[in-house]
Amino acid sequence: MVPLFIALAIISGIGALLAATLVFAERVISNYGDVEVDINKGNKKLAMKGGGSLLETLTAQKIFIPSACGGRGTCGYCKVKVLEGAGPLLPTEEPYMDAEERSSGVRLSCQVKLRNDLKIELPAELLTIKEYVSVCEEIIDYTYDTKQFRLRLTDGQHMKYTPGQYVQVLAPQYEKSSEEVYRAYSISSDPADQAAIELIIRRVPDGICTTYLFDYLKVGDKVRINGPYGQFYLRDTTAPIIFIAGGSGIAPMKCILHNMKNTNNDRRAVFFFGIRTTKDLFLAEEMTRFETQLAQFKFVPVVSQPEPGAEWAGVTGRVTHIAEDYLRKQGNAHEHEGYLCGSPGMIESSIGILKKLGITEDKIYYDKFS
Amino acid sequence: MKKSPQQRKLERLLQSSKFSASGFMGTDRRGLWEIIDEDAAEIAKRGKTMEEVAARMQQLTDLAEQGLGDWIQVSKNLHVAVDDNRGMIPCPWPHRVRCMKRITTARHIPSNTGVRWSDLNIHLIKEHGFFEGKGSPFRIEPGVLIDIIFSKD
Repeated sequence: MVPLFIALAIISGIGALLAATLVFAERVISNYGDVEVDINKGNKKLAMKGGGSLLETLTAQKIFIPSACGGRGTCGYCKVKVLEGAGPLLPTEEPYMDAEERSSGVRLSCQVKLRNDLKIELPAELLTIKEYVSVCEEIIDYTYDTKQFRLRLTDGQHMKYTPGQYVQVLAPQYEKSSEEVYRAYSISSDPADQAAIELIIRRVPDGICTTYLFDYLKVGDKVRINGPYGQFYLRDTTAPIIFIAGGSGIAPMKCILHNMKNTNNDRRAVFFFGIRTTKDLFLAEEMTRFETQLAQFKFVPVVSQPEPGAEWAGVTGRVTHIAEDYLRKQGNAHEHEGYLCGSPGMIESSIGILKKLGITEDKIYYDKFS
Repeated sequence: MKKSPQQRKLERLLQSSKFSASGFMGTDRRGLWEIIDEDAAEIAKRGKTMEEVAARMQQLTDLAEQGLGDWIQVSKNLHVAVDDNRGMIPCPWPHRVRCMKRITTARHIPSNTGVRWSDLNIHLIKEHGFFEGKGSPFRIEPGVLIDIIFSKD
């Protein structure tokens, strides 16, 4: 019996020693002390405690870098140019970098650990991004898999954004997710009211954020968002516009159209909205209303595979082909600006068609987060 | 059989919601290796290999991709469609693989039965022989999958 107690005491002692070593390592070896992050060559300097990732440290300082995976190194969005102090590129970052990014010091901020002073370069617009707390004011079912969420900012705050931009929505820890995650969604609302935003969101099967939004979020719940982000907005030219969107890709187009109406913008514009069946069609009335409010705007919903028995008298076909036919008939396809939002496949296909018709790549706009 | 720390860590990851809202194990009470072994036996019983199954799934996904969401007729009895979403999902195994969030649906017209898979499913089957646990949203029954994707006209 005595040897058993001795053995137990020895094992417990070893365990306690290991635990103490871990605590010591955490406090002493992993203690990087205070470090300084210099942003944009001295424009902003942040003094902070080292040890965390650059992404989480910047987020704690209310500087929001777009990221969709919550810092797990799987989305590849949180790229930041590090001029000094980050050490070599990690194997976890390599798949996300092209040759130019590697040579210019671009890093995934979630993978860069703050061990010493850093010098980084950020686009100026990222420094204006803010975090907002909002309250979910309304949820509207548009189709079997698409909803609109209206979020009112609290404390009388307003979000100044350019129509076409997007925000990041935080899905908190909930029954089906042990971690917080951010996902990006375009603003769809009328920018005349910047005290609230609307988002049109399609459910991603088993997606962490959309499962939260569709199955758990209720009217009255608080929602944390940050933004605005993105370079997708209407350019200030007189070129005719072709909008091509599929499904929830209608969101930024709707916001842009509201703004065109508010600013009496009478540019020629045609919007091809692609859906598969008539059950996928939504916001048709609102889009038709824009036709009466905007002198030279035309809305063309395109159903690619109407379900048997559906009463569909509109255009049938693949949205990219219908848009191509339209541009060919115009005779001045190359003068158009193309604005695209939808699935990666639709965007890729649209870019190919627009380029083939002579629209140069610098006149084709879509969000990189797509 | 005693599990290694790596195996235990992997099983925890597969059960968690770290990568997908419902995890990969569903309500299956079997262990990971039991699921893999039983599904491998079913595949072998049907005279196929994991590589053949994954290759056919990939072939159908590539065909479906051309439809940009529309149904594409593969044969008299089989049509497929793809639904791609933004973003990527990583493989839970400890290697650096991530797949597009693209979902392919294959429908066998005469029997009106269907099966769906993600790009990650193809990878999990090809590289790890894993069809996910029963009750998981993306669990694929190997027998049903083979019946549909290798169906004859």
